[in-house]
Amino acid sequence: MDTQFLVSLAFILGTFGLYIGIAIYNQAKATSDFYVAGRGVPPIYNGMAIGADWMSAASFIGMAGTVMVMGYDGLGYIMGWTGGYLLLTFLMAPQLRKYGRYTVPEFIGDRYGSSTARLIAAGATIIISFTYSIGQMSGSGVVIGRLLEVDYRIGTIIGACLIAFYAALGGMKGITWTQVAQYIVLIVAYLVPVIFMSLQLTNNPAPWLSYGTVIEEMRALDREFGISEYVVPFTEGTKWQFLALMFTLMAGTAGLPHVIVRFYTVSTMKAARWSGAWALLFIGLLYLSAPAYAAFSRFILMTQVAGSPIDQLPAWTTSWVDTGMLQVADTDGDGILQWQELQIANDIVVMATPEIANLGVFVIGLMAAGAMAAALSTAGGLMIAISASLSHDIYFRSINPNASDKKRLAVGRWSIVIASLAAGLIALNPPGAITQIVAWAFALASGSFFPALLLGVWWKRSNAQGVIAGMLVGLSVTLGYIFAAKYGGFTILGIIDTGAGVFGATAAILTNVIVSLATKPPSKKIQEEVIDLRYPEQMTYRDGEVWIDDGNDVPPSR
Amino acid sequence: MRKIDKKVADSYFKTRTTLIMIYLAIGFVVSYGCVLFAEPLSNITFNGFPLHYYMGAQGAVLTFIILLFINAVVSDRVDRKYGIDEARNESIGSGKTVDH
Repeated sequence: MDTQFLVSLAFILGTFGLYIGIAIYNQAKATSDFYVAGRGVPPIYNGMAIGADWMSAASFIGMAGTVMVMGYDGLGYIMGWTGGYLLLTFLMAPQLRKYGRYTVPEFIGDRYGSSTARLIAAGATIIISFTYSIGQMSGSGVVIGRLLEVDYRIGTIIGACLIAFYAALGGMKGITWTQVAQYIVLIVAYLVPVIFMSLQLTNNPAPWLSYGTVIEEMRALDREFGISEYVVPFTEGTKWQFLALMFTLMAGTAGLPHVIVRFYTVSTMKAARWSGAWALLFIGLLYLSAPAYAAFSRFILMTQVAGSPIDQLPAWTTSWVDTGMLQVADTDGDGILQWQELQIANDIVVMATPEIANLGVFVIGLMAAGAMAAALSTAGGLMIAISASLSHDIYFRSINPNASDKKRLAVGRWSIVIASLAAGLIALNPPGAITQIVAWAFALASGSFFPALLLGVWWKRSNAQGVIAGMLVGLSVTLGYIFAAKYGGFTILGIIDTGAGVFGATAAILTNVIVSLATKPPSKKIQEEVIDLRYPEQMTYRDGEVWIDDGNDVPPSR
Repeated sequence: MRKIDKKVADSYFKTRTTLIMIYLAIGFVVSYGCVLFAEPLSNITFNGFPLHYYMGAQGAVLTFIILLFINAVVSDRVDRKYGIDEARNESIGSGKTVDH
């Protein structure tokens, strides 16, 4: 038991205590608390909660590492994951808020007037959230495994148990305020090391302004080492792959059920717009820092680790070599570790950086707590989405419509426990790197929900047959492309599995439009409801007229 | 409840959609546009960065954030101009929830 271990453990236990305390304090009492936090969360706090919900282990642990390894080509993740908020906030969130339901499948079921559509959407929610949560469990395994210096599989099991416990306890209301706390923990943890590194390397405490000079020096080093330059575009994949990945992440963002549901927790369409803006500002703090992180880490590795004698490597290398995620091999046998002989896995860059930059035990402990906050908050949101689909969209609305609130809460809680443990089991042997697994979840969302919601909100002619065919085709095309590209080596224009969403979304939109036009239009009531979404709450569209509710008399009944 | 002139209601919707189309077009140019023209942009240097790298790492994200805040502020103004009362929206919004 060294100091490092004790400090990290204290940080993690302290923050866990905080989250669990908040969850207990805000324990869900009513159904609407459990699903949508009673719908009264102020936009700025909702922005933080969206930030924590959204920024997963992939953002915290994986993204900087991905940019470091891929250079410019990794920036597709930065632009894709932030740009999705434009689609979400402009085209979906306020309108979905006005429609006023508990879950995204419920919106699809009621908007298209079809239980089948709702059940398919519920199934898609479960598949997407489950895939995504495998990435989170895997991330918490990396952190706990490194911290306890045990196999990361044991870490994964511990992480899964913790997630199951507090998500089941608090529901959406507990999770909202826990996520606000988690946002603060994770952003502080992310910014402290990058600010210190910036001071060390450039004497400037603002990494966002200072890392341009580091990039310049690195370009010279790249040329000296004769390796492909960090800033040169499209060295890791084609330009089409870059664009396809960016589209997949953007459209996926606009269709992720666990993120959309956070917009249901505010009071109005206006609050939904402001939530989106605050959310991206808070998210931007991390996303603008990730490329700086990547540049600084790579620079330190190039100048301080590469070129040293292999038997005099810093102590931190050994513990990461033990986890199997860092490889140092003196292939040419000259006793010196060359840059080319150093292989570092994407997922450990951020966690290892405080050690690489020699930042001391407190920063490392803080990082561990921040990474856990990122993994836990997203996994918590995902578990709520899975549980809402199972207990509300499937159990309550299709199997047992007379179920009591208590019974539904029980089904919701048990589905969280089962889903977390099942995702934990798969994460014991994850099928890819964290960012890659997460990108699949986004591809699936852009192939199923993005088209269904986009057309559902903006095209009144889209009908039940259209959306059912669209979601099924979109999911099949996306899944098919992921498998064909990952295991079959099949690609179009060099687009690999992580860019599959572009094909899924296109196929789903075309199918939805063609099938809708070939079948009967939706009922007049549904078409009017869709037009009604164009206007703020106070305006109502009915029988071709728009009414404004000025509070002077009772609104006419439908 | 009072009826609104159809023209007024339509022009509300048109104003909001036109603005959104403009924001989306700007967002598209700073992301997809800058990737499509990454090679020529890489010859320009900005604050130590080649321009294509700067746009990917910072420029696009900053633009997105600014667009979202402009949208929030401008939408509030448009709402006020059309006589929308946020307090009234809030009471309608919470009452209109479909509770099963």
